[in-house]
Parts: sequence; C-alpha cells; structure tokens
Amino acid sequence: MNALAVSDLKRSFGGIRAVAGVSFNVAVKEIVGIIGPNGSGKSTLFNLLSGTIPPSSGAISLLGRDVTHQPAYRIARQGLGRTFQIPTPFINMTVRENLLAAAVEGEWRSARSRAEEVLDALEIGHIADDLAATLSGGQQRLLEFGRIQMRDPQIILLDEVTAGVNPRLRQIILARVRDLRQKGKTFLVIEHDMELVRTICERIIVMDAGEIVFEGTFEEVARNERVVDAYLGRPET
Amino acid sequence: MVRVAMQLLVQTVIDGLLVGGLYVAISIGFSLAFGVLDVVDFAVGEWVMLGAFAGVASQAWLGIDPIAFLPAVFVIFALIGLLVAPLIYRVRTSRYARPALMALAFTFGIAMFARGVMLTSVGFDPRTVETHLVGGTMMIGGIHIPWLRLAGFIFAIVSTALFMGFLFFTRTGLAVRATAQNKRNASLMGIDVKRLSGLVYAIYAGLTAMAGVLIGAIYSFTAQVGPQYSLLAFFVVVMAGLGSVGGVLVAGLFLGMLQALVTVYVGADYTLAIVFGVLFLILLVSPQGVLRRGLAA
Amino acid sequence: MMVQEVKPKRSAALSALSLIVIIAFLATLPLWTDDYWVRIWTGVAMWAGLAASWNIIGGYAGYISFGQVAFFGIGAYATAILMQPGLDWNFFLTLPVGAVVAGVFALIVGWPTLRLRGAYFAIATWALAEALTQIVNTVDFTGGSFGLSTPGNAETGFFYYAMLIASAAIYLIVFLLLERSRFGYKVKAVRDNEAAAQSLGINTTSVKLQAFVLSAALPAVLGGIDAYWITFINPQSVLAGDITDQMVVMSLVGGLGHLWGPAIGATVLYLSSTWLNAHFGSSTGYIAMIGALLALIVLFLPDGLVGFLPRARNMRLVRQMLRLPERPAGAAGPSADTSGDRP
Repeated sequence: MNALAVSDLKRSFGGIRAVAGVSFNVAVKEIVGIIGPNGSGKSTLFNLLSGTIPPSSGAISLLGRDVTHQPAYRIARQGLGRTFQIPTPFINMTVRENLLAAAVEGEWRSARSRAEEVLDALEIGHIADDLAATLSGGQQRLLEFGRIQMRDPQIILLDEVTAGVNPRLRQIILARVRDLRQKGKTFLVIEHDMELVRTICERIIVMDAGEIVFEGTFEEVARNERVVDAYLGRPET
Repeated sequence: MVRVAMQLLVQTVIDGLLVGGLYVAISIGFSLAFGVLDVVDFAVGEWVMLGAFAGVASQAWLGIDPIAFLPAVFVIFALIGLLVAPLIYRVRTSRYARPALMALAFTFGIAMFARGVMLTSVGFDPRTVETHLVGGTMMIGGIHIPWLRLAGFIFAIVSTALFMGFLFFTRTGLAVRATAQNKRNASLMGIDVKRLSGLVYAIYAGLTAMAGVLIGAIYSFTAQVGPQYSLLAFFVVVMAGLGSVGGVLVAGLFLGMLQALVTVYVGADYTLAIVFGVLFLILLVSPQGVLRRGLAA
Repeated sequence: MMVQEVKPKRSAALSALSLIVIIAFLATLPLWTDDYWVRIWTGVAMWAGLAASWNIIGGYAGYISFGQVAFFGIGAYATAILMQPGLDWNFFLTLPVGAVVAGVFALIVGWPTLRLRGAYFAIATWALAEALTQIVNTVDFTGGSFGLSTPGNAETGFFYYAMLIASAAIYLIVFLLLERSRFGYKVKAVRDNEAAAQSLGINTTSVKLQAFVLSAALPAVLGGIDAYWITFINPQSVLAGDITDQMVVMSLVGGLGHLWGPAIGATVLYLSSTWLNAHFGSSTGYIAMIGALLALIVLFLPDGLVGFLPRARNMRLVRQMLRLPERPAGAAGPSADTSGDRP
C-alpha cells in the first residue's frame, strides 16, 4: 500500500490547465521532493492533495483509501498534514493557542501537554505567549510546522518550508523532519533550495507546466539536460 | 377572458422589464465597485434614495426639471463618491483580521448615517419626483407603456451601454477590468489601484444616484427606502454572481419581472419575502450565481 | 521579554475585584434607585446581552451578520403569541420555544450561506430580517402591523432581574464556550485563517454553523423577556434594522471578539442614547449618530474601547492601529496578505 497514490490528476482554472494529468506514487516512509519552475503547478498539486481545492478529474488515495473530492478537513483527519507557501498562522492567537487549536479531535485533555512537547521540540517555548502576528517569518513557519506536529499525521506535505528562514531555525526544522522520518512518517516536499533537496530527498519529481517531466534521484535529475536547462542552471565552477 | 388574462400577463412582464432596466443600472455600478474595491457597498440603496431626493430638490429649490438635472446629479454624486472611496479603500487595505468585512461594516455605517440625516431633515413623508419633460402614456396593442418608465428603461440601457463601452473600449476601462480581475498583478503593472478605485466608486455613485432620480419619478419614496433598493441590488448581483458584470443585465431584468409578477398575481406585500426566498434558493443551489460567472468562495 | 509586564497575580485579583463590585452594583440596584433608573439598567442589561450574542458570530467567528434582529424578533413574537388569551402559556416556558425557533431559522439560513464568503452571509442575514419583517406585517396571527399585546402584570424589578440574569447567563455561556473550551479555539481559528483551520482537521462550516445557531438562540430569549416587559410589540419595535445596527455598533465600539467588549459598548451607547433622547428627543438623530459612530470606529478605533484597557493589550486584534512600540523578541510585523482575504 502506498502512502499516497495519484492517478491522472487534472485541475483547470478557466482555460488554464494548472495540473494536466499527473500520476505518481509515494511509498510509506519515503521523502520525495517536488521541484520545478514557478507556475509549474506544484502548489496547486498540494492544494489538490490536501483537499483545499477539488480536482477537475483524476483520483487521489491516501494510505489505500480513496480521498478524491473529500473536503480538506476530512483528509486532514485521515492523517495528512501540510504547510502553506505563505505562512498562515492564526494571527490573533498566541503561539500556544495556535498549537492548541490544532489538537486532534477527542484528545483535548492531553492537548496541553502535547503542546508543551511541541514547543520544546521546536525550541519556541520562549515565545509561547506571544501573538502570532508579532512573529518573524521564520518563526511563523516554525509555528506552522508545530501545528502539524500536534496532529501527528502520517503523511506531511511541506511547501517551501525553509524559504526565507534563518540558518538556525532551518536546522531545527530539518532535525525535526529527520526525527519524524525515523518514526515512519512520509514526506512530500516542495523546494527551491537544491542543497536541501539533495540532502534529504530520496527521490525527486520534476514538474513543468502542470506535468511531471522527470522522476529520479538527485544525481539523475542533475544530469538530465532538459531539467538543467529549464530550471536548475549549471553549477558555477 | 383568456385574451384579457394574456394582456394582463404581457402588461405585467413589460412593466417588470421596464423597471428591471433601472435595477440593472443600479447593479452594474455596484457589481463593478465590488470587483475593484472588493467591498459589498451596503450604501447602494442610500445612493438611490439620495438621488431621488436630489431630483425633488432640483424642482423645488432650483426650478429645474429633474430629468434635465440628471447630468448635474451625476457630477454631484460622483464627487461625493470620490470623497468616500479613499476611506473605504483605507479600511479595505488595513491590517484587520477580516478587512473586507470591516469595509462592509463601514459602508453599512455610512448608509445608516445618510438615512438618519435624511430622516431628521425631511421626515417620513413619501414623495415623488415631479417631472414635466416626460409624461403621458403610449399605447401599443392595448398595452400601456408610460413614457416615464420607457424613459427610465432607455436611460438604463444607454448608461449601461456607455459604461460597458468605457470598460471595453478605453484604456482606463481596461485598467479597471484588469484590476477587478487581479488587484495585486494590476498594481504590479503600474496601475494605481487606489486612484482607480476612487474613479470606479465615483462613477458608480453618480450612476446610481441618476437611477434614483428616475426611480423616484416612477415610484413614491421616503428617506427609509434605501434598504429596499439595497436588497434588490444584492439580489441582482448575487444572481449574476458577485463580480460578474455581464450577468447583471439578465439578472436585473429578471428581478424586475419577478417583482412585477409577484405584485400583480400574489400581492405587493409578499414581494420582499419572495425575492428573499428566490435569493436564498440561488445561494443554496448555485452560489456563483445562476450564470456561474462570479466568485463564490 | 515582553514590553508590558503585568504581574499575573495582581491583574487577576484586580479583575476579580472589579467583577465583584460590578455584580454587587447590578444585583442590588432596585433596592436603592427608583423605577426610572431600574428601567434604564434593564435596557442596558438587554443590550449588553444582545451585543454579546452578535459578537459570537461577528467577533469570534468573523462573519458579520446584519440580520440578528430577526432572532430577537422571533423570540419576542414567540412569547407574545404564546401568552395570548386562549393560549396563556407560562412566561418562562415561552422562552425556550423562541430560542429553538430562532435556532432553526439560523440553521436554515446559515447552512447554505456560511459555506460561502462573508459578503454573501451578510447579505443573506440582512435579507432574512427584511423579509421576516414583511411577513410579520402581513400575516394575521402575528397581529400584522398592529402588533400584539402581552399581559402587563409584573413589576419593574421582575423584568430587571429577568433581563440581568438572562444577560449574565449569556456572558457565562460566551465565557465557557468561547474563551475556555475547545470550541472557542476552533471558532477563532476559523476566523483567523479558514484554509489553515481546515488543513488542521477543523470542519469549518460546522463550526460556523454552531456559532451562528448559538448567536441566534440567545437573543431570542432576550426578545421574549422584552416582549413581556414592554407589553406591546410590533414589527417596528422588535424587528427594526436599527436593532441590528446597534448590536453591531455596540460590539465594535466596545471591542470586537472580546468577552467584555459588548458590555462596555452597550453601557456607553445605551446610556448616551438615553441622555440624548431626554435632552434632544430625536430618535432619527440617533440613527445618524450610530451610523457615523460605526464608520468612525471602523476607521480609527478598530479594537474598540477595550483597546484602552492595559491588560487587554495582549489580546488585541490589531496592534498597529494603536501604534504601540514593537515587541523586541524577534518581532517583525505580521505577514498580512490582505489580498488573500475576500469579503
């Protein structure tokens, strides 16, 4: 059983085909990276996977269950967590309240202690009572990550989670990703940071104009002429 | 008997279409203002009301026939709109949790303010706009067509056409359409969104006030009539789909007919309830508007 | 670390003390003032409760309703109708009936509209109130535009305590459900960022619907008490748009999404309007005034009067509006992407 199985997924907006027939699988415990130029449909793909927008056609299954057309909250409850490209903290609530709001249904009594755990793991205990609106961009991304951790999802979608984050916070995030991977979580990661992609992704999917143009390891991708020309650029020597 | 019944039906439909034209005039500006400013202007009915009173004032104070005064009405209210728009824009772009709803509340406030001021100054008495330039009734095959209503309809069509012409054939109009589609990109392309919003709102206010003069000539009105017309404008725009200008024509005429049919066949007292009922059904079934061109969620 | 260090123990003691003083004041009022003032404070209590219930859907959930008066009116008419000669229900039993009917209406109207953008909801609730007014005006069993009477056989003091207890209950409910429970977190999350809330497993439509139904049932109870109190109701007195307007303004003036905001706003505005009425006797002028006030508050004082309370500063909606110094610990403005928020 695959963690995620996508079959001929399509999504159009008016005349624009944002996702034009995408199929791929993600095995349990894999970390797969998704790269590609802006506008290639990566974020739309994430929106489709998380149920934020419905597909025009195609199928998505999560841990063997068909979740096509299910609303986002149901997919989240079935074990999918995601971050957003632009951080989306609950700005009028404190960091701790943000975490509490993310608690799993039916586990309210343990939510407080779980929130403390997350605060410690992400080393943000010192800003726990600050309004989310006053956090820096990097801290907000950390908070988003923390919110997901509250729910302990099986599959995690990270959308440029380290963009604009200072090196120290980046380290924290990466360390947590590795921890979670050890515990058996599956990751699907959109990234522009090739260093990151090289170090943590086992497999990479390259998207362009709404389609998958290549799949392989980082080395294979880096060698592929088409990908390099369109997107990666040649290394400076 | 059937002949009489048919005649009544045709008469009713014609009446409805004629007044529907005016609803279109109100709603076009309103829909576009929504598209560019991203705010539902709860004061749309008050613009109508104020326009109607301006029509009364032009005759009573200036001795000018209201129809002749229409251009002046446009200018006056466009100027007022130009003053109000920056405030709405400011609220709309502030750092609230939900700035769009705050802007909506703002327009609600100025609507209340306008209503309160008018009620205090002119009281509750119903009035009509008296015009001598247009009067009398035309008869076609047994159907009565009052010239005034026809004039209103023609006005509505002409002003809508002019407005559409402005939107589709001028550079500024292009800028307006671009902004309505995507504000962020529009400003990135060098379009001054704030100034454009002011322009659109001004045109909308002027247009709606002019429509108010004509509505006031056809129907009697009071200072409290605002909310009624706001409801009608909302209905038209929801049915066409918030943000869609094209469907407003169809929706406005439809509303006029619906209202006329309900008044004649059910009873004037039930029009509001039925309009609401239909509005509600539309939201239930097809929130992007019956013509599926608007933005639902 | 924080700019304003307010020692938690002292502020808790202070607020507990002020609460006790206020409660003592309100609870003993009829014992030391005359009927005139008791009636005024009954009005204050009612409006405080009305504003608080609006605040649930408007402030906590962030969906502005312009038709809350419909629920107030439903409660009023439920009580009035059931107390008519021939039916003669016990007053207290009529209150839950009104609440349930109002809740059902909220469910019916809310279900299709809360899925959509806030603007549709605002329009739909507003249209509901207008339509309801017209129906009530036309239909017989509501007395049409002539209205209904209720038996006038209770004392001023009775109504005062009834209103006070009902309002206090409302505040308690708001406190328990929206400030201290899981539900409150969900509601606020939905308000702050619906997409994020959904991605965290929150059924946002259901949450909004629950908040709306709650915000409808509560004013219905106040409406029922009001109907009994003023002994005569008609659409103008219990279904007028001005009533919703006042609920909105009171909450905004006091402080949106804050527990005590509505109470503060209601007290200030109601007492002002009573004073104005006594000295200038114009009620249409009052309409103009609250309209202007609403516009001004939205422009300049979005946090309401609550923004001036020192303790409340930590919980404010928008820091920038009051131009307070930035917090030192890693602070760098919020990422306010307003283009993403649609009405």
